[in-house]
Amino acid sequence: MRIVDTKGHLCPAPLIAAKKALKETAGGESFILLTDNQTSFDNLSRFLKDNKADFQVSESESIWTLTITKTIGEVVLTNPEDYCAPSITHFEKGNYVVVISSDKMGEGDEELGHLLMANFIKALKDLDELPSKMVFYNNGVKLATKSSPVIEHLRDLEKMGVELMLCATCISHYSLESVVGAGTVSNMYTITEVMASAGNIIKP
Amino acid sequence: MKIDLLQMVESGGCSAKISPKQLEEILKYLPLPKDPNILVDIDTHDDAGVYKVNDDLALVLTTDFFPPVCSDPYEFGQIAAANSISDVYAMGGDPVLALNIMMFPAAKLPMEAYADILKGGFDKASEAGVRIIGGHTLDDYPPKYGLAVVGYIHPGKIITNAGVIPGDSLILTKPIGTGVILAGHRLGMVSDDNLAEAKRLMKLLNKTGAEVMKRYNIRGATDITGFGLAGHTLKMAKASKVSLIINMKEVPLIGNSYQLIDDGCIPGASFRNLDYAEKDIDFASDLDYNLKMIAFDAQTSGGLLFSAPSDKVNKILEDLRSAGLSDSKVIGYATEPKEKCIYLNN
Repeated sequence: MRIVDTKGHLCPAPLIAAKKALKETAGGESFILLTDNQTSFDNLSRFLKDNKADFQVSESESIWTLTITKTIGEVVLTNPEDYCAPSITHFEKGNYVVVISSDKMGEGDEELGHLLMANFIKALKDLDELPSKMVFYNNGVKLATKSSPVIEHLRDLEKMGVELMLCATCISHYSLESVVGAGTVSNMYTITEVMASAGNIIKP
Repeated sequence: MKIDLLQMVESGGCSAKISPKQLEEILKYLPLPKDPNILVDIDTHDDAGVYKVNDDLALVLTTDFFPPVCSDPYEFGQIAAANSISDVYAMGGDPVLALNIMMFPAAKLPMEAYADILKGGFDKASEAGVRIIGGHTLDDYPPKYGLAVVGYIHPGKIITNAGVIPGDSLILTKPIGTGVILAGHRLGMVSDDNLAEAKRLMKLLNKTGAEVMKRYNIRGATDITGFGLAGHTLKMAKASKVSLIINMKEVPLIGNSYQLIDDGCIPGASFRNLDYAEKDIDFASDLDYNLKMIAFDAQTSGGLLFSAPSDKVNKILEDLRSAGLSDSKVIGYATEPKEKCIYLNN
């Protein structure tokens, strides 16, 4: 497979290389793109999504390897549900951040742990003051996947203005790139920054 | 020795601004001073602060400085000064005094570069009628330059982000694309002509545009700089409590900036701006991706964007064009507040 190496280059050079390679690649074919810069990686991910290219990511020692596949034909972009969902406007947000580091709440029976976590996330929606952000890492990111039992609640929270931040390393560790159903993938620096500047942190 | 300032920086001009999202997070925790004489503060996301001295006079205060946007020190000085002074024009004020703000790597660059940057700033300030009466320099790498500017304004004639009225048309006085052109230039993708055009526009004072605004008693305006066209219109929409409809195909672009974006030349600052603003923006389902991304391109010393009653638009455009702002155009209009603050159409 063709390898496009953009290591050592900063934006927009990696984007230009990606766009050029996409143009030269036939539909259904793939190529590999390498970058060693977090911002370049974030921007590439965004750019590829907007340009309807499929990609898988693996990271090791601060080098991101993107396997990019040019999609065939027109992709249906819009999700009809997004248009039908009633828009929820104006909710008060408090100066606190909810940190979800597991898909269970508390120690003990596993089934009970899952149930409690689902109830916790559901209950968040009813609070007078919503969290400003929710951070998901380790097993916590699994809650934000399409098949998660709480995905609808998380999408509601997102519509209510709560920012959901998912740990990028965790998503790729559990190979969940293609099944993320809510939130934005974020890096550890931003997550640390958010936690450090939060008024309070709530960890169920 | 030929001096090339661009060798020293990764992102120059207003692209070097901190992310608007991070800035907003920090400013939340900083209390605003309370004083009845403060007429404009950051609460309305405005370009400059305004402080009332008496019933006939208020002061406009602003500062801006950034790393090099071009290779030549003299041109860099001119552009940085034009950009710093612009905020006073955007508020409808008359710039009067300024101080130099300079960071210069004395061990890495010959002192003639230092002198040339200051000379460029001095000449541009003089063109604006501004007296530079002092300044401050640090030994720092890479170089950075700009001005802190004071202007005069009548307290009853302040033009702010908050003055846009539903039904008004939006007029932009300079084409956009400086961020893309400068990034493309560093990668050898921009012709000399296009680069020269971008530099001409960045050096162009917003003085003439501001004179036309004042002639027509415009109340809502901003200048387009680091947060890009979309970012600054968003600040306007929020401050004025209106929604703004922007027709991207009407927005004049510098040189080959559309083609550059199509080739993937999208500076990092555009993604930062997109990240900050997108939740308040409705993107038309058929919106051209390249036009979408150029709406977030960080501008250095960009033009004025102001709102005008539709029945005066033709006269205003005529005046702007005869004042030398030949690319001035209506790029959209304001409506009553809708679900989103900004609607980006083709």
